[in-house]
Amino acid sequence: MQEKTFKQKAVKIVPISLIAVAIIWFGGAAAGLAPVLLQRLAGIVLVTMVYALLLAIPKTELKEKSLFQNLKIKIPVIIVIAAIIWVVAGQAGFPIWWQIEFVAFALVGLFYFVLLDLRTMKPEKGQFHAVIRLIGTYAFASVLFIVITAQLPQFDPAHEIEKLNRPPVKLSGLAGPEVIAAGREVFEQNKCFNCHKVFWEGNSDRGPNLGTKQIGLYSEDYIKEQILEPRKTQSPGFEDPKSKKAMPTYYDEDLSEDELAALVSYLKTMRDPTHMPVEGKFPDQWTWWDDPKILEEGKIVFEGLEPATEGLNCAVCHGKDGIPMMTGALDFRNENQPDTDKMPDHLPGVQMKDWPDGLWYKRVTRGVEGTPMAPWGTIFPHLYLWKAEAYARTFHDPLDKRAEKRPVPPIPTKEDIEKWKTEGLFLDPLL
Amino acid sequence: MDSSRTLQNKPLLFKIILVLLFVYGLAHLAPQPVSSISGIWGPSSALAQDDEFEEFDEFEEEEEGEEEGGDEEASAEGEEGEAAEGEEEEDLSYLTDIGPAKDHEFEPYSFMGLSNRKFTWAAAQLHILFASFILGCPMFVVIMEVMGARRTQGVRKAIILANVFLGILIGVVIGITGEIIVGIHHGVLYGLWACAFAALIVSFLNYFHRLMNVKAAAVVGGIFGTVIAIPLTPVEHIEVSGVILAIINGVVGGVLSNMIMFAKSDFKFERLAHEITKVIGMCYSFTALTGGLFLFVMLVLYQDFITYLVANFPVLFLVAYPTLFILETIVMYIYVYSWDPLNQANKKGRHIVCGVFLNILGLTLLCALDGPATFMQTPPKPLDELANMGEWSKIATSTWMPLNYHRLVGNGTFGGYMVGVIGAYMYLWSNKREEKEYYDWVGYMGNNIGVAIMIPLPAMGYIYVREIYEYDATIGMYIMSDRESMFMLVQGLLVGTMFSASNIYMWVSMKRIENAQRFFPAMKFGFILIVISATIWFTPRRFFATMMPEPGMNPDMVLPDNLAFLALMISKNTAAFALVTVTFINYIFYTIATKTGKVHYGKINPLGIYVLIFLGFADIWLMSWMGTIRELSRMNWHVYKVFKDVTPEKFAPTLAESGFHVTTIVWTFFIIMTATIWLAIKYPKSKKKSESIPAQTAPQMAE
Repeated sequence: MQEKTFKQKAVKIVPISLIAVAIIWFGGAAAGLAPVLLQRLAGIVLVTMVYALLLAIPKTELKEKSLFQNLKIKIPVIIVIAAIIWVVAGQAGFPIWWQIEFVAFALVGLFYFVLLDLRTMKPEKGQFHAVIRLIGTYAFASVLFIVITAQLPQFDPAHEIEKLNRPPVKLSGLAGPEVIAAGREVFEQNKCFNCHKVFWEGNSDRGPNLGTKQIGLYSEDYIKEQILEPRKTQSPGFEDPKSKKAMPTYYDEDLSEDELAALVSYLKTMRDPTHMPVEGKFPDQWTWWDDPKILEEGKIVFEGLEPATEGLNCAVCHGKDGIPMMTGALDFRNENQPDTDKMPDHLPGVQMKDWPDGLWYKRVTRGVEGTPMAPWGTIFPHLYLWKAEAYARTFHDPLDKRAEKRPVPPIPTKEDIEKWKTEGLFLDPLL
Repeated sequence: MDSSRTLQNKPLLFKIILVLLFVYGLAHLAPQPVSSISGIWGPSSALAQDDEFEEFDEFEEEEEGEEEGGDEEASAEGEEGEAAEGEEEEDLSYLTDIGPAKDHEFEPYSFMGLSNRKFTWAAAQLHILFASFILGCPMFVVIMEVMGARRTQGVRKAIILANVFLGILIGVVIGITGEIIVGIHHGVLYGLWACAFAALIVSFLNYFHRLMNVKAAAVVGGIFGTVIAIPLTPVEHIEVSGVILAIINGVVGGVLSNMIMFAKSDFKFERLAHEITKVIGMCYSFTALTGGLFLFVMLVLYQDFITYLVANFPVLFLVAYPTLFILETIVMYIYVYSWDPLNQANKKGRHIVCGVFLNILGLTLLCALDGPATFMQTPPKPLDELANMGEWSKIATSTWMPLNYHRLVGNGTFGGYMVGVIGAYMYLWSNKREEKEYYDWVGYMGNNIGVAIMIPLPAMGYIYVREIYEYDATIGMYIMSDRESMFMLVQGLLVGTMFSASNIYMWVSMKRIENAQRFFPAMKFGFILIVISATIWFTPRRFFATMMPEPGMNPDMVLPDNLAFLALMISKNTAAFALVTVTFINYIFYTIATKTGKVHYGKINPLGIYVLIFLGFADIWLMSWMGTIRELSRMNWHVYKVFKDVTPEKFAPTLAESGFHVTTIVWTFFIIMTATIWLAIKYPKSKKKSESIPAQTAPQMAE
């Protein structure tokens, strides 16, 4: 029987594979399988198709080449491939160091392919020749590994020594900023940055960004509970089994009382006077503006029913249903309301629907001079004030009528945080 | 002509080796970037605390110029005159007041640029390398001996035992993978019992010439292995996943046992097993020597700590370890020196049984010493109660079994690649065609064993690190995300390099197989996938060497959040899966090619031989590197959070410094191994060169 030609085989392989991909794609989607799983299955089928096509190629003698011939053919090809990788990686947003890495691996590929097509080595001419080659092999491996370990990014052990020589945190005699600095040290020593960002610092989204979540708004007891008994309450958006297990449970044993107190002091500084707190696991995040649970809690505060803010009742002036009970009180139903002109820092020409988060916060925490709107931020925990603001917005922008969530604000930078301090946006002198 | 040329070359070879040894020695004399104390063996009587600050002072001086006195470090030296007047002397007791390190006295030594830590590091590493060789190789040496032995009645009886031994090893590896990766409760017990009993039942039936068919053996192994494993595994509710795992293990145990029992005896295996055993015998002495060296080094350089450690394991170090060691030594030498006599006496079966016992003793010894090793890293909690805990609790720590699994598989891989190195050396040292053919085959076998056992190795590593995270995530983070993150990146590169080199070896080997070229286009595609997978495995979340950027590092070297998935475990696992799969596919191509085309052993492209040597070097370098990572992950603790390291070298050395030191250790190992292979295999051949030795001596007579 005559063997089939490549074309005959390809005519069978390609349609069968594509049909299989289509079945996986549409059938899997209909069966409710996860898109990631479908992508992987389709990928495996396509890779198998390529393998099948390559195996269908009729046998040809391998053309071995000298090093020069090899490079002559492959260098132009690798230049084109490297250029494509560079541009595509750049477009995808990879920083330059990763672009360099990808191109370097393309060059490793060039090395492999040169080696594969290289002319068969001549046998050793004698033992001396064999020894030279042997030493060459060991030298190649050694130089390769030494160069790799020498060229990858290094650290200076002096910094670790410095950390190791620091005394343990003891709070006696320390005050304010020193305690916060000690807490920062505890945070670093216990490698909290491995899972938590603090605003711009850190690089893992395994746990909540404690800066944008504004963990500092919460009570000390709650923060301590989160450290010592992390399984008790899970941060919104981190309810998946992997996240539930992620936070270690041994800090009760590991942290001394002083260390815990210092750590909590540091965590209490994590607040953002310019944005609503952000919840959820990257990239599925949302702000409190759009959090139904927060809005419910905000309603309780707004209507004066929250025990933690006893004495605060927004509804007394602004109305339970948003209809102001007092002349001059802000009407939250009117989305076109301007900012008050009674304050020196007023923001002219911006309607309430477009007010930045920081303006809401400022007006509530600092009040409006000459009006019954008191600086509530000096009296009540800001956690509840943010919640009440989130609820107040629903009078002109009801949750069920929103077409889309408010965008998650960009993560504040080091400069932003410095600015909050210099501009005195925090009421707390320590921040 | 050839032989005369060889004779001429021999003195030259000796000279070259001597010159190389000399150069190597000189390299060790080169100054190292660590504090040097005057004199070659110059003990300093200073306490740890003082030296620590002396070193720190030196650093400060470099940084700040010749600034004198008044700083904290100077006052720390106890020079009261320099301390600011009226200022209370700083309390530095926190540096030494933790646990048993309280009374710690430390004397720094320096010898040819090596410090206390580097001495210990080198001695321990060399000991572990030799120990891995003598524990790893016998596992497959016994199986090879079985494969090479004629199926006499005695041999068939011994095969029952050997198969059960193999069944236990394979069952444990598949079982623990099912338990941890898939999440099957008590998976390791399902795997162990099912595979071992399937092997026992099938081998037993085979012995009586029943159940000759491999498919029937699979069915019987699957059914009986499962039926026995289920009642022996203590679970409250039987789950389907557990039963499936037991069936898989039963089938594997049954099929392997059947295949081994009825395999056609091939004398090449017998010869390979015998030659490797000769090397093992010599390496055994080096293991003992380096073990002794390690102990002496510890006694001199870390006297307090080694005393503390040994005192914590009185039964182990006074009774169990010496007993096991002596027994293993006896059995080892019986195994090595009874090879020929038992062959001649037609008692091959007894020799195989001896080999199985050797393995059992070796593995017990490995597990016993993993106890103190894991005690140092994960001492049992609560730590306040440590003093009142029994010795067994200190041995069976949370990471004890994971490290046992990891070392069991790691040693097997190590042994496989060393067989490749032995094959390559002997190929280069052989002149006769038959010898070259044979050693070409040895290299092929070495690579096969190395690659095959390496496939479950990442899973074992994962299981081990997972347990470390469970114990104390701080250690896990130190390894994966902090000071050792770049060390792990190097590990990724090495694994990628090893898989690539194994595939290059297969490619080169296939060039000597007729009709194999039809696979080359597909294999080239495989290489593209390998490069992509290696790239993904390597890609880090950040390109600075610590969790948070330190002074002098660029904080912008971080992947943006939307691309961070490339650095997560899910991407790494996909890359690892792709690497393993491509290698497996190439292995299938290779196997098909050897079955359907003639293999011209002895005509391998010499590149293949050097790739084998490169592979051996890379594997052993990687093994040493992972040992370094494990040791450094205890941070500034000899026993984590129990016995503090208060010596000047309590910090993690840089990647560059570690890389260079590991390379010198691996060179030392290879120089000794080269001499050992030459003395164990090549030299006896040279002595008898006047006699003609057939490449394949006739197998022993039947009983």
